[in-house]
Amino acid sequence: MKRTVFFVAFSCLYSILTWGQTEKNDSVPQNRFVNRATMYGIGLTKILDSYLSPSEYKGMELRFLRENIRMTNIMDGKVSSQTIFQAHAAYTKNDADTGNEISTLFSWSYALHYHFHLSPNFKILAGPYGQANGGFIYNTRNSNNPAQGKAYINLGASAMAIYNFHINKKPLLLRYQLNIPLAGIMFSPEYQQSYYEIFTQGNWKHVIQLTSLHNQPSAFQMLTLDVPMLSSTMRFSYILDIHQSHVNQIKCHTYSHSFMIGLVKNILIIKNKDKQISRSPLLY
Amino acid sequence: MMKKIILYIIAFISIFSTSCVKEDEFDNTPEGNFEALWKIIDERYCFLDYKQQEYGLDWNAVHEKYKKRISSSMTSKALFEVLGDMLGELHDGHVNLYCSLGTSRYWKWFEDYPKNFNDSIQRNYLGTNYGISSGLKYKIFENNIGYIYVESFSNAIGSGNLSEVLNELSLCNGLIIDVRNNGGGDLTTAQDLAARFTNKKVLTSYICHKNGTGHKDFSSPIAIYIEPSNHIRWQKKVAVLTNRSSYSATNDFVNNMSFFPNVTIIGDKTGGGSGLPFSSELPNGWSVRFSSSPMFDANMNQIEFGISPDIKINMSAADILKGKDTIIESAFKYLVQ
Repeated sequence: MKRTVFFVAFSCLYSILTWGQTEKNDSVPQNRFVNRATMYGIGLTKILDSYLSPSEYKGMELRFLRENIRMTNIMDGKVSSQTIFQAHAAYTKNDADTGNEISTLFSWSYALHYHFHLSPNFKILAGPYGQANGGFIYNTRNSNNPAQGKAYINLGASAMAIYNFHINKKPLLLRYQLNIPLAGIMFSPEYQQSYYEIFTQGNWKHVIQLTSLHNQPSAFQMLTLDVPMLSSTMRFSYILDIHQSHVNQIKCHTYSHSFMIGLVKNILIIKNKDKQISRSPLLY
Repeated sequence: MMKKIILYIIAFISIFSTSCVKEDEFDNTPEGNFEALWKIIDERYCFLDYKQQEYGLDWNAVHEKYKKRISSSMTSKALFEVLGDMLGELHDGHVNLYCSLGTSRYWKWFEDYPKNFNDSIQRNYLGTNYGISSGLKYKIFENNIGYIYVESFSNAIGSGNLSEVLNELSLCNGLIIDVRNNGGGDLTTAQDLAARFTNKKVLTSYICHKNGTGHKDFSSPIAIYIEPSNHIRWQKKVAVLTNRSSYSATNDFVNNMSFFPNVTIIGDKTGGGSGLPFSSELPNGWSVRFSSSPMFDANMNQIEFGISPDIKINMSAADILKGKDTIIESAFKYLVQ
């Protein structure tokens, strides 16, 4: 039973990766399979927000990531969709160890990737993505500038390189992804504008700013390795997440290195609602 | 094809890595910390031009003057003293340097003037039977004048508590709001209290902020109004008592009240402190507080160095010997007229 489940799961993933190169040999449409990964990680982060302090704060970060990938019907089924939800929290300190900053950020992105099959084992995916981010940084020592709110939306370009190979007949999947925001909008107080002036007195002038590569040179990079283990697939990831901005004369950066581990599942979506109910484990 | 892709990726990473967003860094040495502090004030302090007009402050000259006192072998204590002295040139009670050694401060705005408040003499007026509610001390005196002492604006005054206090004092002929020795706190707390003393929306002040690193880089001032509270509002005469230690948010409270027709300010000039302070830090981890957003009165006058009272009076030595508070007595005379 376990072997059968494993074989089906791997077949789904293999089909997603080699779509267009091999003939369909199963009767279920490819866009009914969802590749879902849930990962937890720990890493190091460096935070600068000149609204709070000119010093860079460094410390540990915890990160959660949930990813869904599935094929779509767009462009004859050559486009996949990807959603990534991330949440991370960090506790950092300055070099002198006299102050701390606590930060957290939630982000959700949606990407569409067109598949370019370069060889049976290697393909490139590329396409647009959109992302929404929200969070804050809190400095434990400051007076009327204790915290900075983070709220920004981006549209950008996303690319993936996927390589599948074998070691001792074990199928492995190596993937590199790069997301770069190209245009967006961001909330930012002016250089030394207090949140009292924005929220109590209602002065929102210049607080919403347009962003692009010139004032928000950022990138999200992810390297993953999928390894089948027993009846599951483990995913090992390294994430280099770079958020930078220079808006309203406030300089910010967050450089995060996270090592993550999680499980990958391939889920079959049954479209017909009658079949959904009739196949429900609750009826067994 | 693969080689081209790899080359493009390498080129992109190379270009990208030169686009790092960073702040200017200073060494954690006495010289580095001195330069960092001087730069923080030069780029972020909001009263450099105003204080140059008022008493000739030249921040570049201050740099040259204090740089001579910095040496690479100096101790932390010596560095703290020099940096504290440099910040003292700003004549600002909102400017402090904090470290484990202590807190630097400039207190001449009240140290060089009569105290005009004595808590032992205040006890002669309050006695032991006075009300305490949400940080307020209140009493009805025998001449049917109500008295509220507001010691601080650091904690919010509950709206229900304040309504109960004003209701309790509602039969009084007049009300004294004593904010002497109130060093400030939360601006919104001070504004919420002022809102109990007006029946219409009144323009009382303006605020702006620095939008760049230049001495003249400020936003357009925005108007601040006090709108009448939806809770109990006082309708009779009010005397607000002030001294040189009425500072910061208290200074803002006195400014707001000064624009209401039924309010008279009695006592000494307030200490001032109209700059909303922000914080920053030095490479050695010392924290610095400084005035960041200037506030002005409704006529765009500077109130950084204080607000003059309508009735100027000091506590007299003779009255102090008798256990009397001259300023409270003046308020009595004004309110019973």
